[in-house]
Amino acid sequence: MDPKKNTQMEFFNKNTRNLFYYEGPFYIDLLTIFGNHLKIYTNSFPLAQKKLFKIYVELTQNVSYYSEEYILSKNDNRKIGMGEMQLADHQNQYYITTKNIVKLQDANILSQRCEIINSSSKEYLKELKRELRKSSPGEKYGARIGLVSAKLISRNNIDYSIIENDRKYSLFKITAKIDKNETY
Amino acid sequence: MKRIEFRRSLSYPYYPGVVFDADSGVCEITGESYMEEAYKFYFPLINWLKEFTENKNEKITLNIKLIYFNTSTTKCLLDMFEILKKYKNKGNEVEINWFYDKEDPDMIDEVKDFEKEAEIDIALKGF
Repeated sequence: MDPKKNTQMEFFNKNTRNLFYYEGPFYIDLLTIFGNHLKIYTNSFPLAQKKLFKIYVELTQNVSYYSEEYILSKNDNRKIGMGEMQLADHQNQYYITTKNIVKLQDANILSQRCEIINSSSKEYLKELKRELRKSSPGEKYGARIGLVSAKLISRNNIDYSIIENDRKYSLFKITAKIDKNETY
Repeated sequence: MKRIEFRRSLSYPYYPGVVFDADSGVCEITGESYMEEAYKFYFPLINWLKEFTENKNEKITLNIKLIYFNTSTTKCLLDMFEILKKYKNKGNEVEINWFYDKEDPDMIDEVKDFEKEAEIDIALKGF
């Protein structure tokens, strides 16, 4: 069974305006184009815009690097992860959501990490980020740092959900919420 | 030593602009840095710093003006700071300046984290 069936990114509700939605391979050049649109759509709220762009890059690059559904780049045979992303305007917040296929056991690990991140203080998360940097292999960081950064930057809990409709794979959906009227 | 110069491009905004100049001892990284496989981009810069610090005893200045960088880039920056820390510990003069957008106060936290992790002074300069 294709776990992507019937999982189109939903429009949240009548209070939410969808700014963009994309489904397909997460090429960096394409992410850059969407990133430029994101900056334009949100330029009325400069601090929120900066935070949103940082989180957008982290979440979308996680999909690009780690999605279990991928295509191979014609140039260098590198894996380009596939998934979905959506930017939404919801009253006083922006929502950035990504969704991609992960192995069933990885979905459980990711959920546990999100739980830890959501229940941790800023100081603990900063320490965790430093520890993860040290323990990560030289060439690549795990998705964990991106998730920690999303919480640290947004200062809001990460919403996540697992859609299980296959014995081996799940869809992992993650939403970061950024307050429009951010102050420092 | 060969000068490294890489100009920023609107077509590839995820690569920063770079100028590493051995004659002046001034190195600059500007723009945004969120390319895939960051280590491939930063590898020549790290090697350049190794060569400079192993063969010279002159002052080196690293000016960073990155308005955004991804987590893969942070590892490369930390590798560069490590090289500069060793050079400084040998008695050489090292200056690291981080120019940050005053409208992006999160960057101050990031730089302070770098300072703590790399154990090297980084001067914060708002623009």
